[in-house]
Amino acid sequence: MTALLATEHLTIRFGGVVAVDDVTFSVATGELRCLIGPNGAGKSTLFKCLTGQIKPSVGRVLWRGRDITGLDSFKIARLGIGIKTQVPSLFDGLTVLESVRLALRRQARERDARAQAMATLERLGIVELAPRIVALLAHGQRQLVELAMVVAPEPELIILDEPTAGMSAEETSRAARVIRSLNDKHAIIVVEHDMQFIRAIAKTVTVLHQGRVLVEDDVMRVLADRRVQDVYLGKVDASLQVTT
Amino acid sequence: MSGVATLLITSLGLAIIFGMMRVINLAHGEFLMLGAYAAILSARAGINIWIAMLIVAPLIVGVIGFVVERLIIRRLYGRMIDTMLATWGLSLALIGAVTMIFGNTVAGFSAPLGSFAIGSFTASAYALFLIIATIILLGGIWALLRFTAAGLIARGTMQNSEMAAALGVSSDRVYAVTFAAGSSVSGLAGALIAPFSGVVPTMGSAFIAKSFITVVTGGAAMLTGTFSAASLLGTVATLGTFMTTPVFGEVMMLAVAIVLLRLLPQGITGRFFRRAL
Amino acid sequence: MSGMKLSTDIAAASIVTIAAILALPNFLELFALINATVYVSMSVLALSLALVWGFGGILCFGQAAFFGLGGYSYAVAALNFGDTTYAVPVAIVVPALVAAALGYVMFYGRISDVYMGAITLTLTLILFNFVNSTAGDQWRIGAAPLGGFNGIPSTPPLNLPGDPGNPLPPQSIFTISVVSLLLCYIIAKLILRTRFGRVIVAIRENEHRAELLGYDARAYKLGIFVIGGAMAGLSGMLFANCVFVSPTMFSLFYSGQIIIWVMVGGLGTLAGPVVGAILLNLLTTWAGTLPDISPSLILGVILLLAVLILPRGVLPSLAVLFGHERGVT
Repeated sequence: MTALLATEHLTIRFGGVVAVDDVTFSVATGELRCLIGPNGAGKSTLFKCLTGQIKPSVGRVLWRGRDITGLDSFKIARLGIGIKTQVPSLFDGLTVLESVRLALRRQARERDARAQAMATLERLGIVELAPRIVALLAHGQRQLVELAMVVAPEPELIILDEPTAGMSAEETSRAARVIRSLNDKHAIIVVEHDMQFIRAIAKTVTVLHQGRVLVEDDVMRVLADRRVQDVYLGKVDASLQVTT
Repeated sequence: MSGVATLLITSLGLAIIFGMMRVINLAHGEFLMLGAYAAILSARAGINIWIAMLIVAPLIVGVIGFVVERLIIRRLYGRMIDTMLATWGLSLALIGAVTMIFGNTVAGFSAPLGSFAIGSFTASAYALFLIIATIILLGGIWALLRFTAAGLIARGTMQNSEMAAALGVSSDRVYAVTFAAGSSVSGLAGALIAPFSGVVPTMGSAFIAKSFITVVTGGAAMLTGTFSAASLLGTVATLGTFMTTPVFGEVMMLAVAIVLLRLLPQGITGRFFRRAL
Repeated sequence: MSGMKLSTDIAAASIVTIAAILALPNFLELFALINATVYVSMSVLALSLALVWGFGGILCFGQAAFFGLGGYSYAVAALNFGDTTYAVPVAIVVPALVAAALGYVMFYGRISDVYMGAITLTLTLILFNFVNSTAGDQWRIGAAPLGGFNGIPSTPPLNLPGDPGNPLPPQSIFTISVVSLLLCYIIAKLILRTRFGRVIVAIRENEHRAELLGYDARAYKLGIFVIGGAMAGLSGMLFANCVFVSPTMFSLFYSGQIIIWVMVGGLGTLAGPVVGAILLNLLTTWAGTLPDISPSLILGVILLLAVLILPRGVLPSLAVLFGHERGVT
């Protein structure tokens, strides 16, 4: 398995604060990786760095071995990386179909692009939303629309920042199913908080704490790890207890 | 030097409002103009020229600013572009109104102090007065912010208006007073520069662009930012004018401002002196 | 659906254009016809900002700069070549080049909205001050004196291509202007229908999201900015044919007017600003005939009210009133 996206000794400092501290990790082709950690662990900062919105102070980001540190967001997207932000970032004035069609940047032929867009909406179970204006959609629907935009161009790697934020239980299960099926074709990095969701989809989990990698292991072992439970003090719920 | 001082004092009112409220008041040039007119008219009515310039002008324009804030600015909070457009409309309206009332001609206003010589340089004592006045004004505002209760409230609101509100500060009231204060500083500046700029309804137009660029290049810190930007840009403009023509001086100033904004997108105090006033 | 709407819009615009060309030169006196031509050139100018601001999301405070550059480069070129045939492309290319340079600095420098406003405003004022100071004989470009405050009174009107001895009469210039307006309208509509146009609108809606989809927003914004600059230059050329070029083309008053036309006509539409420009110009002219009332006051109040009450402009507000929810073009 080849390393698709990797970081080497990534450190990000703001003023006096070290938000990300010497993080080295890598995600292989086809892998599904969850990135978890309590508030302030550095997940969002790491996400922003991987997606070209912030430049690191020290260290490198590599795509298939190629140094992509500091590249602009649009160049990173062009490498074949789909990015979904925590707060849905959408084209409010456009329709759902138009938005997804725009995501198919490389597809020049209009009819094919629309067909592909509709197929993507189909895949995510929101094809009935196609003619609706994005601004008028409910929050959970907006998350799914953004997911559709991310997935449509068939990126090799998808990075999702808290994809289920604000979703209902039903929408969360649907999202879990979608992401698991997406994993058949794409590598995925999910930055998440929601433990139920993690348990439903995770295979390998990287835990961040105070900017550093605390533990990186199989999900069951991570959730049973005392240290992880400690850092999540107060956030741990009964579902984390693994029965042996 | 007087070039820098002029730029500084004419930009200060805009900087106060921008620094505190993140509002760009494009009618700022017209507040300068109103201050100049207030000074001239009260002087003509018999009031002592110094009082006219230093007290009447800022007072009148401060009141006007207060009214403007109540009627217009407060409806557009958070909408920076809309505020810019609305104040541009206000600017056009004020120019029109003043032209209608007072006509287009230049009102005469000679510098109240004579000239003096230091060595081989003759300068008008007025220019020196302007520089001193600018320094005093800057110092006064700094002291006000630093040492008074009102200043503390203002600084708190500047940093974090929600927190300040939670502590019982009415940000409404703070903004109203700030806008009025910034306006009166503009009025004062307009009165002070009236002697050498010529008082016409459109005199503000010459200053709005320069003030705008100075404030924006200076960044969010109202005093340090404006001071550093005015010093830098004012010097460039003066050198440019001295070497060639006034227009070229302006071109140089804009070029330097653009380069600065390119390097420091948040203005000078976005990067340096970040915690300063 | 949108195809049909495009054709109906263009058909409607064409009908109005043909009607105007046939009717107005017969009904209006010469003076009124020349005024009408001025209004048409203003409409093209409004259209340029409607495109750049309404669809591109770029609030340019200095669209008047390109208007003036277009007018002046036309005049200078026409006086130097002796034939306006080559002056017309100059009037379009020079402002486009300046827009390209300025746009490159602003967009590739990732300068934010407010600062962009400051820079474009300052540029316009610098041009105004510069051209104002060019009185006197040393200020000439080739055979053309820049004329300083007085402008260039001897701006040559258009002649038939290749026939410099025969300047066209005002009726023909009117026809040319109206046809130009129609062409610009059609071109703008077509641009918006291409992928380029749709990406531009997406960038206006959410630049960040567009970049996350792989679009280089800087290049797209530069593109639409240059197109807007070229169109403004064309309007300057049309203006120069009815009135002579002078520094007031660069004035803050003009820059403000253009913004008012677009705001009042309808930000985000094309037809709105065109209509807005014509109506507001009629209003300003009428106000000019009233003794003692300053057009500046009237326009300023209109802009104020427009921002406070109808931020979407008159046309879209009427559209909403009549039940058309979506953005109109």
